[in-house]
Amino acid sequence: MTALAPSLSGRLSLHGVDHTARPTWKLRETVEFYRDILGLPLVHAITAKGWGREKEQHADFIHFFFESGNQSCIAFFYYIGTQQPPELVVPKGYMAMANHTAWRVETEDELLAWQKRLEGKGVRVSQFVKHEILESIYFRDPNFYPLEITRALRDMEELDAADAKMTIDAALTLEDSGRWTNIEQLWRAKADFVQKLLQDAAAASAS
Amino acid sequence: MSGFYVLDVPEFAPLVRAAEQHERCRVHPVIAGYRYIEFDGEIEIKRDTTGLGEAVWFGCLTAGLDGKITSFTSDAIKLAPTNEPVLGV
Repeated sequence: MTALAPSLSGRLSLHGVDHTARPTWKLRETVEFYRDILGLPLVHAITAKGWGREKEQHADFIHFFFESGNQSCIAFFYYIGTQQPPELVVPKGYMAMANHTAWRVETEDELLAWQKRLEGKGVRVSQFVKHEILESIYFRDPNFYPLEITRALRDMEELDAADAKMTIDAALTLEDSGRWTNIEQLWRAKADFVQKLLQDAAAASAS
Repeated sequence: MSGFYVLDVPEFAPLVRAAEQHERCRVHPVIAGYRYIEFDGEIEIKRDTTGLGEAVWFGCLTAGLDGKITSFTSDAIKLAPTNEPVLGV
């Protein structure tokens, strides 16, 4: 019997983002934005006659990659001779912004430098926004894809993970009820989880 | 008893400091990473007493609420005791 490879014998893990990808119907604007405005190196391009998927009438395409730090890439597919399907037009409004890419920088000065660089190139950029453990700026690419550059305000601790677990456990309970409509219900439901945690901690310290 | 929990992390510390200055709040010690802030009757906490930005302010009860929200704007939050079930009746 063949022994399992080390990576398969223990806990499987991932090692960060290799690339994410999305379609574009604006080849020139996309290249100019990512390569020239953001200054991300164009590091790879695949060109192919479909994927050999004749039944799907798969378009011929270019799949091109920009390096965005730590060996990760943001990539695009340009399907030659096709029109953008309406369902792939990025909708306006906050819900579609959930589907975004956030790149990391290390310092506030770097974040400020990115904001100035983008503004200097004519890109509309948000003010700095602090979200608990992150501080970010937001902007969009020529395809209207939402982008973010962010810096960590602190490291994530075990406490954050424990708190996240209680948040999600409470949320799952509410989702199962079919009657969940607002965040106040979640905060009230979560209080029960936190109260039990504190009672257990008190009991443990008393024993 | 009515109150709310605050996770013991830097971004929510300004909320604890504001509660310490609030005459109707009683701030409990941290246990297992959480601080309970007890209040009597209906209370109002103004955002400018916390110094929190809006992004954190609108999530400031994320650690849990024993009570109900009677008003929540960018300027202030009002909390009150409740016996109503979480999901209503």
